[in-house]
Amino acid sequence: MRVGSDATLIWGMSADAWIVSGISVLYLLGCLWVGMRGGKDASDSAVGYVAGDRAMGPLLMYFVIGATVFSAFSFLATPGLAYTSGAAVFYVIGYGLVGFIPFYFLGPRAARLGRERGYITQAEMVAGECGHRPMAGTMALVSALSFVPYLALQMKGAGLVVERLTEGHVPQWLGGAVCYAVVLAYVLKSGVMGVGWTNVFQGVLMMGLAWAFGLWLPWKLYGGVGPMFERIYEVKPELLSAPGTKSWQWFISAGVISMIGFSCWPHLFMKAFSARDERTLRRTVVFYPTFMVFLVPIFLIGFAGVLFPTPPPSPEQVLPHMLMSLDLPAVVVGLFCAGALAAGMSTGDAIVHASASILVRDGWITALGRRMTSTEERRWVRVLVVVLMVLSYALAVTYEGDLVSLLLYAYGPIAQFLPGKLIALCGRRRDGVAVHVAMLVGVATCVVLKAFPQWSPFGLHEGLVGLALNVFVLALLAVARRGRPASAQA
Amino acid sequence: MLDPRSKLPHILFALHAVLATLCVVGPGYKWWGSSATPFVLGLPFSLVWAIGWLISVFISLLLYERWTRYCEDARGQ
Repeated sequence: MRVGSDATLIWGMSADAWIVSGISVLYLLGCLWVGMRGGKDASDSAVGYVAGDRAMGPLLMYFVIGATVFSAFSFLATPGLAYTSGAAVFYVIGYGLVGFIPFYFLGPRAARLGRERGYITQAEMVAGECGHRPMAGTMALVSALSFVPYLALQMKGAGLVVERLTEGHVPQWLGGAVCYAVVLAYVLKSGVMGVGWTNVFQGVLMMGLAWAFGLWLPWKLYGGVGPMFERIYEVKPELLSAPGTKSWQWFISAGVISMIGFSCWPHLFMKAFSARDERTLRRTVVFYPTFMVFLVPIFLIGFAGVLFPTPPPSPEQVLPHMLMSLDLPAVVVGLFCAGALAAGMSTGDAIVHASASILVRDGWITALGRRMTSTEERRWVRVLVVVLMVLSYALAVTYEGDLVSLLLYAYGPIAQFLPGKLIALCGRRRDGVAVHVAMLVGVATCVVLKAFPQWSPFGLHEGLVGLALNVFVLALLAVARRGRPASAQA
Repeated sequence: MLDPRSKLPHILFALHAVLATLCVVGPGYKWWGSSATPFVLGLPFSLVWAIGWLISVFISLLLYERWTRYCEDARGQ
């Protein structure tokens, strides 16, 4: 299948474009079917909709965490980074690998507290354990503001893939809208269980396709993975030594802040409240590195593009560009399209479900003290799912700038949750006011340093500077407010 | 099997986790794992280094989880 090939047109589209569209539609119908059936056993309560009645087993937890982590960003931007910056991309394995270890200890602790005190979100737990409810509002707001660009990125990624692989016949806005209409349907109907079961389907699909393309492309272009790296070593050796074309400062700084931010993502952490038991949670952490192996073929795809005869329009499009330039059967291109959509949708569904739940539970109920029944809460989460989806879609189709930068910006403010989370789960004396003030200082620092990066000491990531100030202010306030009674005791 | 009250497995696991962190997101990568050569099974050493730590962390988590279960079972008896 080649772009612009002379082919017979059927209703304005080539037969190849029809095949690609057909496979994508089949995949979307599969997702819809799995997602709509996913929540049939969950109760009608808010806990059923948001936390799956705390009954997720090991298989579901494994795919929920794994598929949520691997997004359109992993499927498109990771090969793009390997293509442009070589070994710099290996930091992704590093932060993903060690960023999840704390969950082995914190996850079961949080799950226990959730069962005892009814928590179903991270902010609700931190504010409740620190005895300072307004903090949940801050965390809800920061989370929602971080999630909207993240969701927009997934929508834009899905739209881009569909547009490129259907030779422009299905525009970006329509591709994104159709994919996320499916997500909207199963998230509204089935809640977290719909998200969970579609993630199993999407996870298997994208892992299989990543390995297939990761091994096949080097073989097709260079005769194998080994010969590919030997050729790159001869022509561009700097790409194979860490940190590639980036600096060590960038490599370590990006790795550390991503590791901390990763362990604080609210949509990942709140899955601790969905697990059936503590052993299930621990096993999820144990087997999580096997999902990380999925990154290896993604890297291979990016490296396969390094010596490709023609450059892609942008680094993120290196994989679709190679597929469209090689004379491949339309079925193969269609399968890739389905895999890329799976990556985007498996993250987007978890994000939209989590952000709506967080805004209602943390912002409205915990911070503002509004009382509502379980049925009302469930209804408002659904309303906000629609509102957030529309907002993100509007951002995806109107924003022309770099959404990836917006996403990386989100890691900084999210990382500011770490001290509060650790104090809530492990601290003996918990001063909620101090934790809240320190968190606000950390978030404000991130925002200011993002606007004025030249003020950042040693060129460090703004999230790290914010976190350092956050901890410093927390320590200062702990000393200054020593005489006062703690807002909560362990 | 060790005494369930033994602190040794916890210490070993913590040391391994700290070492892994230093070696994949810290300066350990720069000092020991950054070179492109030697190629191992056709892959550059810098990638093999990351994959090696991935396997090592998986094994240590697997062993530690077995230990955690053993301790829980022993406490339950």
